[in-house]
Amino acid sequence: MIKVEQLTKRFTPEKGLFDLNFDVKKGEVFGYIGPNGAGKSTTIRHLMGFMKPDTGESSINGLNCWNKSSDVQKLVGYLPGEIVFLEGMTGLRFLTLLQNMRKQTDTKKRDELIERFQLDVKTPIRKMSKGMKQKVGIIAAFMHEPEVLILDEPTSGLDPLMQRVFIDLILEEKQKNKTILMSSHSFQEIERTCDSAGMIKDGRLVALEDMHSLRSVQRRVFDVKVKNEIDVDIILQSSLQAEVTGKNSIHVTVQGNDQDFVQLLSQCEVEHLDTRPQDLEDIFMHYYDRRDVAR
Amino acid sequence: MSGHLYVAMLKSHAKMLGGFIYGAAAYLILIVWVYPSIADMKGFNDMIQALPEGMRKLVGMENGIHSLADYVAGEFYGLLFLIILMIYVILTATRLMARLVDQGSMAYLLATPFSREKIAATQAAVLLTGLALIVTFTTLSGIAASEWLISGYELDIPSFIKLNVLTFLVFSVIAAYCFLISAASNDEKKALGLSAGITLGFYMLNLAGKLSDKTEWMGNFTIFKAYDPIKMINNETNALLTGSALGITTLLLITTSVIVFKKRNLPL
Repeated sequence: MIKVEQLTKRFTPEKGLFDLNFDVKKGEVFGYIGPNGAGKSTTIRHLMGFMKPDTGESSINGLNCWNKSSDVQKLVGYLPGEIVFLEGMTGLRFLTLLQNMRKQTDTKKRDELIERFQLDVKTPIRKMSKGMKQKVGIIAAFMHEPEVLILDEPTSGLDPLMQRVFIDLILEEKQKNKTILMSSHSFQEIERTCDSAGMIKDGRLVALEDMHSLRSVQRRVFDVKVKNEIDVDIILQSSLQAEVTGKNSIHVTVQGNDQDFVQLLSQCEVEHLDTRPQDLEDIFMHYYDRRDVAR
Repeated sequence: MSGHLYVAMLKSHAKMLGGFIYGAAAYLILIVWVYPSIADMKGFNDMIQALPEGMRKLVGMENGIHSLADYVAGEFYGLLFLIILMIYVILTATRLMARLVDQGSMAYLLATPFSREKIAATQAAVLLTGLALIVTFTTLSGIAASEWLISGYELDIPSFIKLNVLTFLVFSVIAAYCFLISAASNDEKKALGLSAGITLGFYMLNLAGKLSDKTEWMGNFTIFKAYDPIKMINNETNALLTGSALGITTLLLITTSVIVFKKRNLPL
């Protein structure tokens, strides 16, 4: 459904997109991960027809994203990464304008989404908080029930509760066989919804995998605090990679061997257990390491 | 063109537009209202004649004031109205394109099935509609004021309307090149600066051209060469020729803007 072929756009020799290739099939949810400035939004701008590639092309449903951009827009719901609306309107008036421009008369889906995200649509846009704007943006992307959804960092600014509402929404749309591409810099968010993921770094696609294999290389670091020295020793002597960080507290790295970890912990008296959010750089680094070892 | 976008844009510009219309109309009414006292003032023209010629040209009173038409054209169309319209077209042209691109809200408009050409054409239509509204309301209030507010002085209405149509066309050209700059810019401030700079530059050249014989040639390099309210209202210009040349220039500039906007990369 979404196809990116040898897409190249050079801003400077170092910055831009370089020979990007990927493919999102109909009904698939594709996670597009990468650190800030890696080229996620630039790729999306090409898909939306805002930018013309130097070489290569992208297409949605067989339509070239640059030449046929207004036809492509009929199929697509888009959530920009940076949300700015027209000035001097309320949320509802803005949504109505977009609906009118799309010649859409049915407001059922829109109202349902407003209800779901508990959005006060009468608020003037300039008085909205970041989260409220994000909600308006999400509603604008979903309300015309597009075949394809392109979402640039959809959950930024949402509180955890609304993030859950959003993830449920994505899963529902997936059930309806919609094709979704969402970018994120959070692995967790992608993990819960996507079938496959692409990782981009410095404008190059460094990994393109289905979610299952990505998950298997995902490494998590647990912050464990135990009761006494003996427990520390037990953990250090185990097969797991561990590192003492303070009095009775240890960082344990778990990767695919969750079972061993649980069994190990059952032998100790655990006072406190916490996971550190994985930073993406780590996942990348490790992804390479693992592949090199496998070779 | 998107009708819905056109209406929404006009609505969101309504306040600013209203301010400009109010300012222009109120000032014109005031100027017409005080005309009898100036016309009755003996020695006013002598006083004007005593000024150096360059100065007289600058304030739009080369030949003194002999009729209501001269007075309105020189005092209002030659000075304040010119500045009001300049500010309006520069600000609005920048707001309609470059600002939306700079801030990012253009993304939403382009994410609808309307093509870039249509969005740009709609915005251009909003710009010219606003300009037309200001000129129309000003024309109406000028006519109304001369008919009802003062007696004994006639305003030649057909000539006055002709002056207004030409004024609209001159400022359409200014609006159109500002729109072109706006459509080609990613940065609102740069677009505003460039539009204002060029327009002020034209205005300066115009002033310089009037100042003395030595600098007269400078007056040929400015759009304001086509704008001489006193000659226009006294039917001393070839209105049809000037008018159609201005109209065609506007059309060409707007078309160029649409094409430029269609072809360029947008940082949305």
